[in-house]
Amino acid sequence: MTKSPYNHLNSEMIAKLEAIVGPENVESTDTARLEALAKDETPGLPPHPPPEAAVRPATAAEIAEIMKLANKWRVPVTPRGAGSGLSGGAVPLYGGILILMDRFDKILEIDEKNMMATVEPGIISNDINERLAPLGLFHAGYPMSLETCQIGGNIAENAGGGKAIKYGVTSRYVLGLEVVTPTGDIIELGGKILKDVTGYNLLQLMVGSEGTLGIVTKIILRLVPLPKHQVDLLCLFDSLDAASEAVPAIMTECGITPSSLEFMDILSFKTACGHLRENIPVGNAEAALIVSVDGHDKKRVQEDYLAVGEFCEKRGAFEIFVADNPATSERIWKIRRTIPEAFAIMSDLQRGEDVVVPPASIPAATRYFADLAERHGVIIPCYGHAGDGNLHVRITAPAEWPRERWNKELPDILDQIHSFVAKLGGTLTGEHGVGLKHKQRISIFLSKEEIAISKAIKNAFDPNNILNPGKIFPE
Amino acid sequence: MRIAIPIKQVPDTKSVRLDESTGTLVRDGIESIVNPLDLYAIELALQARERLDGETTAISMGPPKAEEALREALAMGIDHAVLATDRTFAGSDTWATAKVLAETIRYHGAPDLVICGERATDGDTGQVGPALAAFLGLPVAAYVNSVKKISRNSITVSKLLEDGEETVELPLPALITVVKEVAVPRLPTLSGKRRAISADILIVSNDNLRLPDSELGLKGSPTRVAKTFTPKATRECVNRTAATAEEAIPAARDLMAFLNDRGIRLSSEASQ
Repeated sequence: MTKSPYNHLNSEMIAKLEAIVGPENVESTDTARLEALAKDETPGLPPHPPPEAAVRPATAAEIAEIMKLANKWRVPVTPRGAGSGLSGGAVPLYGGILILMDRFDKILEIDEKNMMATVEPGIISNDINERLAPLGLFHAGYPMSLETCQIGGNIAENAGGGKAIKYGVTSRYVLGLEVVTPTGDIIELGGKILKDVTGYNLLQLMVGSEGTLGIVTKIILRLVPLPKHQVDLLCLFDSLDAASEAVPAIMTECGITPSSLEFMDILSFKTACGHLRENIPVGNAEAALIVSVDGHDKKRVQEDYLAVGEFCEKRGAFEIFVADNPATSERIWKIRRTIPEAFAIMSDLQRGEDVVVPPASIPAATRYFADLAERHGVIIPCYGHAGDGNLHVRITAPAEWPRERWNKELPDILDQIHSFVAKLGGTLTGEHGVGLKHKQRISIFLSKEEIAISKAIKNAFDPNNILNPGKIFPE
Repeated sequence: MRIAIPIKQVPDTKSVRLDESTGTLVRDGIESIVNPLDLYAIELALQARERLDGETTAISMGPPKAEEALREALAMGIDHAVLATDRTFAGSDTWATAKVLAETIRYHGAPDLVICGERATDGDTGQVGPALAAFLGLPVAAYVNSVKKISRNSITVSKLLEDGEETVELPLPALITVVKEVAVPRLPTLSGKRRAISADILIVSNDNLRLPDSELGLKGSPTRVAKTFTPKATRECVNRTAATAEEAIPAARDLMAFLNDRGIRLSSEASQ
């Protein structure tokens, strides 16, 4: 365990926290519940000490008060949403206070005239869209964990997901934030405005800052019209190369921007199907793509999917399944969403990477990962939002490997993946964040100067390094 | 072999909302899908056709929009589609619906086998299949969970009973209604979709069927909905908590006794 430069909570401090949020909203004795808060969904994340107290504030003012005390006490504070993160961002490194955001679970306003919604960070992302759908609107973020993750977490990680290729990532839709700063001030950034160059863009600095620069307590989201029609194509290719080469080609040659363009190698696809008892016949497929098109005019959407489908046939898809209603669409997407879970049960020895390469380099990357897996005797299922160059690379060792072998080989495998990605001009993480998991690897992708500037920014916000310490940057 | 598959377009249950002031379903803007159990009927029909040759026809009664459901069936591989649509059919209950479907099937040509989904997710009655068999004068097996044997003259199926299964052989022509264990529906393919987009759908109205008005729509429907309401939950949940292993044993015993009283026996695997 890392030696803590911080103080521990004592009973007097806990009593003060109870006075702020109410004793029923402070957990400091139930070790099982606290231990459950010492992890997230990151595969292979080593165990961390639990927080000393988990508090559930209901207002920004309560959080501000807690931050002021934490600075005085020199006790670290970690904000946490649904705990569905994939980089340990909401896992405290030094115990201290964990702030649970689940009481911030309201949609405060849906402003149809401005096409904006004001929401609290603890609401489940999908619930926002369920409320918006009858109004013909939607929030275009579409993380794969949409039914569990919270919008606050999406902002902390600047989540991307399955629709980023057409709609962009979370930051595009964040117009305003209310934030409690690490020193306990409440600030408002941005607002119900679509253009704003007044001063530095602190709003966008906050998005993707992994809960290290402030705690978001209110969000103004830009909404877009909900497309009335969506069709998903599941395209099977008998060659991995043909499938990955089709990805950039669909973007450049087809003249249609799909709303999703997902890649799954056959290992990912079959494992998820097996987990779901889904029996789609795959023949000799080596890879599958999900290509979705959406729009407001049914006929146009039909023309688009027929054109994309025909293009995929030309590029070597030997079978294409079509889902044009919620039932069949869910059947196809469920396969994609189930991949992480299907692998999670195979072996304890796993590590999920979330690299991004320029879209045209997808074929080179998928080939490289397949060869790498063979060289090391591990499996590296490769899947992800290939249309925007974001690949999820889940290194999985056979369950019978001794842990020592895994510990020895993993850094070597990671080095090779990351140097190859860096050589292609790619980056470390596209949407999962650096958190705890990647902080030792950040220097492969960021220069010394960049890291120094970033640390200076952190210091300007948080001089005592109280908020979510030990994340993103190596000590 | 000629196989007819009556199908229904239903609202996607995931997106159905209730108008709280009137207590009725809000159907505006709700996406429509093929009734999920009908997809299993379609799959079974396609498998039978692959083994025995012949042709399959999907038949639906509904508004013109129900054509979408028929095109989905065509995209899965069904050969022909017939839509019975007429303003006079609107408001039909299960009796009147079965009557129109029976006449439509006769109009299109007598099949050797009719395969229905056991029930639709919107009405949830499970009556149309057997009623259709009665109007067509066919033997019927409901709740079919597997087809054991099928030939040109007969079909042997296993059907679910309340406390087990029963295997029956029916002479053809016959009608069966199927549950989801019977097959796994295939997804429509792009080539199927292309075919379905341009396929002709036979439209049948009452000009073709010539059923008397008194047998159609609300007039021909003996069902009267007197009132709809949400039933109150009458079950009560009793929590038994146990902080230690010693306390867990009597709690588990109580639970076993509770189940025993209701005639529920745990299998040896589960009770270990």
